[in-house]
Amino acid sequence: MNVIRLLVIVGGACALSIAPTAAQTAASKPPKPNISTATKAKAAEENANPDAIVLADFQKRIDAYMAVHKDAAKDAPPLKETKNPAEIKATQDALGAKIRAARANAKQGDIVTPEIQNKFRRLMYPVVTSPAPQGTAGKELKKDVKEGLKENTEERKEEGGKPVVLKVNATYPNDTPLPTTPPQVLMNLPKLPEQLEYRIIGKNLIIRDVEGNIIVDFVPNAIQ
Amino acid sequence: MRRSLLFVLMLLVLAIPALVAQDLTVPLKNGSVKFAVIGDTGTGDKHQLAVAKQLTATRAKFPFEFVIMVGDNIYGGNAAKDYDKKFALPYKPLLDANVKFYAALGNHDDPSERFYKPFNMNGERYYTFKPADGVRFFALDSTYMDEKQLKWLDEQLAMSGSEWKIAFFHHPPYSSGETHGSDETLRTQLEPRFVKAGVNVVLTGHEHFYERIKPQKGIAYFITGSSAKLREGNISPTELTAKGFDAGYTFMIVEIVGDDMYYQVLTDSAKTVDSGTVHRVGKVEPTPNRTSQPVVATGGSDKKAPAKPVK
Repeated sequence: MNVIRLLVIVGGACALSIAPTAAQTAASKPPKPNISTATKAKAAEENANPDAIVLADFQKRIDAYMAVHKDAAKDAPPLKETKNPAEIKATQDALGAKIRAARANAKQGDIVTPEIQNKFRRLMYPVVTSPAPQGTAGKELKKDVKEGLKENTEERKEEGGKPVVLKVNATYPNDTPLPTTPPQVLMNLPKLPEQLEYRIIGKNLIIRDVEGNIIVDFVPNAIQ
Repeated sequence: MRRSLLFVLMLLVLAIPALVAQDLTVPLKNGSVKFAVIGDTGTGDKHQLAVAKQLTATRAKFPFEFVIMVGDNIYGGNAAKDYDKKFALPYKPLLDANVKFYAALGNHDDPSERFYKPFNMNGERYYTFKPADGVRFFALDSTYMDEKQLKWLDEQLAMSGSEWKIAFFHHPPYSSGETHGSDETLRTQLEPRFVKAGVNVVLTGHEHFYERIKPQKGIAYFITGSSAKLREGNISPTELTAKGFDAGYTFMIVEIVGDDMYYQVLTDSAKTVDSGTVHRVGKVEPTPNRTSQPVVATGGSDKKAPAKPVK
């Protein structure tokens, strides 16, 4: 009888100790690949990795955007050094307006299509979310990334400013803090031309045109 | 009576320069290169103002010609009014005295800051400048350390000959900070280049405290990220720490005389928290197969740090 009772206690203790681990594992599952049939077919045809096809498609879409940007910049005053920051803002606004007019029908997902969004979530997951063993460089790196993201929230509270409207072609509000995007995250994402940058707004990732100060496109719930 | 009063007044007038000189540990030599270093400044709050005030007061005794900004120059909103509140007004007395500021971009900065003339970035995210013969600075954008920038850096370092080479950027390759710690990715990218080209000194911020790192592969590393923001008690001293100060707001003054670079770190209440010398051993030329530079000796009152593994 005592042996049975002991086994029940030990079994219960084991179950309790396993439960949090199981829960943690469930919470930290990486996003599953979501690749379209067309991309899979293309990958098979070209004997290529489907992810490489997705990233090449992203690059193509960024190139197309940059053609619009450069075309709009021809008719806009160039950004040049000035003592007056209002002039920098006015120049950004002028270019932003021209880009907006040139892609008036642009909508979320035109550049970061659903499968590109999925790829971005998968690229960000190992740097931001997935657990790393204690005492490893990965653990330290994640701590730093999380601290960077926490700073964004704190700064937003301190400074106030208008909330960022996640909308393609919207101007990024000048009185709202530009949140930091940890270099470790940037290292894992596809490189952008220097006129563009990534910024993390809450759990979302935006692509911002630095020279036009507009939101080019965004990945909702990029951090999972 | 009048004579006595006059005598006392004369004594006071004579004593003031002596008192001032006692404050400073830098040698104040004629013809030397004098500059200041501030970091993580752009808050516009009372702490930035207090450091700016002390920086201005220090210039009366130590006439530095320019100021290095190691990033996070404009926190939060970056409307035109923010440039005034977080830069132009706090440093107005220095700007009015034609002191030049040279900025690097931090992770909180909008890259369009590079077009703001008072930051002297020539519209570039990374750039180099030579304030005097024999000294060259390299400003880097450590948030976006891409291949293009690294190639540019290699070219510029190769062309810089036997000058003092001082790199400045935001993220510290070495740090004993609890919050961020060393940026090892950046270190992997930059350190071999710095060693090969003979970079002498690296100035960074990001961590909101002051830390002088023990020379690493012959390079002196300083973190000056508490010129407006402070993370009290955030330094967890490691084997890296030569001196750390996380109990107050700081800035740094520097004087280069020949092969010696004298530094002094002051708080917003003019208390000296660190001082010493970086000695450059010989004229360091870029050498293709160099693995380390001649030893750079740093002086100052080194804090005994408990041995903890280096991050």
